[in-house]
Amino acid sequence: MSEPLIRMDNVSKFYGRIQALENVSFTVREREIVGLLGDNGAGKSTLIKVLSGAVPLTSGSIYVRGKKVEMKSTTDAIAAGIETIYQDSALVTQLSIARNLFLGREPIKGPPFLNRMDTEMMNQVARDLLRQVGISKNIPPETPIGSLSGGERQAVAIARAMHFDSDLIILDEPTNNLGVAETQGVLRFVRGARDSGHSCIFIAHNIHHVFQVVDRIVVMRRGKVVADDIDPKKTTVEAVERVITGMTDEELAHALGPNTH
Amino acid sequence: MLRRLIARPEFGPFILLALELFVFWAINPEFLSPLNIGNTLAFTVELGLIALAMTLLMTSGEFDLSVGSVFGFTPVLMWTFVNGGMVPMEIGFLIAIVVAALIGLVNGWFVTKLKIPSFLVTLGMLLVVRGTALFITNGFPQRTWNAGGHWLAEVLVGDFYVGPFRIYMSLFWFIAAVIILGYVLNRTRVGNWIQASGGNPGAARARGVNVDRTKVALFILCSTLAGFAGIISSVRTSAANPNSGMGYELEVIAMVVIGGTALTGGRGTIIGTVLGIFILRVMRNGIVLIGVPGLAYNIFIGAIILGMMALHSWLERRHHAGT
Repeated sequence: MSEPLIRMDNVSKFYGRIQALENVSFTVREREIVGLLGDNGAGKSTLIKVLSGAVPLTSGSIYVRGKKVEMKSTTDAIAAGIETIYQDSALVTQLSIARNLFLGREPIKGPPFLNRMDTEMMNQVARDLLRQVGISKNIPPETPIGSLSGGERQAVAIARAMHFDSDLIILDEPTNNLGVAETQGVLRFVRGARDSGHSCIFIAHNIHHVFQVVDRIVVMRRGKVVADDIDPKKTTVEAVERVITGMTDEELAHALGPNTH
Repeated sequence: MLRRLIARPEFGPFILLALELFVFWAINPEFLSPLNIGNTLAFTVELGLIALAMTLLMTSGEFDLSVGSVFGFTPVLMWTFVNGGMVPMEIGFLIAIVVAALIGLVNGWFVTKLKIPSFLVTLGMLLVVRGTALFITNGFPQRTWNAGGHWLAEVLVGDFYVGPFRIYMSLFWFIAAVIILGYVLNRTRVGNWIQASGGNPGAARARGVNVDRTKVALFILCSTLAGFAGIISSVRTSAANPNSGMGYELEVIAMVVIGGTALTGGRGTIIGTVLGIFILRVMRNGIVLIGVPGLAYNIFIGAIILGMMALHSWLERRHHAGT
């Protein structure tokens, strides 16, 4: 079998004496959307931070297409083709949508020494991308990010990852704060990303959103991966919830109270 | 259309400047006489050069308190070399400008590499540079009148008449700086990096923008233009005084923020700064002409700063709430 896009091998992470990840092994294959689920404190965020270069791992290794990589910073991760979209997307609120989309990779028009940004091209690409993400309102690309809603900012960040062809797009709660139409737009866009050759890690509290879009579900509990090959087509939301909480049917019934039976 | 115009940060300063011009002219029509306009412009553009560079630096989220000292020190250094017969004027000029640039480099290095706030770094540099200027001159001004007629002096600050108006060459340096720095800030990739460095340095770094290098370059620009302005001023006034430029740093920062550039970084406007420069200089000139004691100047400046800050903050909140 060919090498997976991402392979994390026995990764552990300590914050002081607290172990946030314990010998985690985790893979993402090419053109695959993996749903990463777990309760608060299960280790999802730490796993994502390690993979996106935001925090260093304590031990273990990360491979991209079989090649070992060192993630010392978010810039390393981006260079390795891994783009992370956090809840508070890494955008500059004072800059326009188009300027944010192209930040650090602005196209140049005219002689290079004039360093002139091709704003017409940037605005045109921004307009097309916003339409693709499914933002229902007609927002001009010159609008500053500061005047967008939280959902619209997510959409801009997703559009940016898509446009710059990241191999792996990590979406941390991308559907939080989104309206129904925008959520469907984002889910559609995530599927579109896979169809055009990207892989995604999708983290969401709303398991129904995860079920709508992912190919495989990985569940974490207390810093460990407890299930890594759940097929959403062959299981139910309730069964996955049991894996997340680590409860048996009886325990779950008890936790939910006597009136549930 | 009108609403968009009003929402622009430059709108408030524009109205204020127009109001100032009208009030001073109405009280004393001499205010708009060619002689007064020529005199006001001569010094305004020297301070203005520093304010333009400071606009870019403040947009990147930093500021420089040492510009007033560099304004005083650079010409002192140049004329010490030239008057001592050590180097010709051109070389003296080059040495002084390179030293000014190095001062900016040191400021930038302390701020970006040692992560010390620019307030503290440039406050320290203010004292070091001013102290050096006083030390090497024993506190006495350097004469510069032997510059008269030299081609470099003519290029820097030669004067000529356009009708009744006396125009100094420095006005053209100022106009060139407005055009170039306005272009850099608004139209170029570097301008995008400057704004991102001030708005959200973490996000800018994550996108591969070299935030530190951008800021160091702007510190160098700021010091260099402060030194350049100091040399222009020394040739025009025929003296390089080690004490000149004292307090300019705050006046320059006031010009920039009155124009609508955010003190916290991320948003800057060159047009706004040009308006801010004229608002303060016209005020200084106008209150003297209409008979208000010059000592009351700071009351007006303070009131303008407070009023403009209130206006900018109101516009900002309205902008965020309204869309």
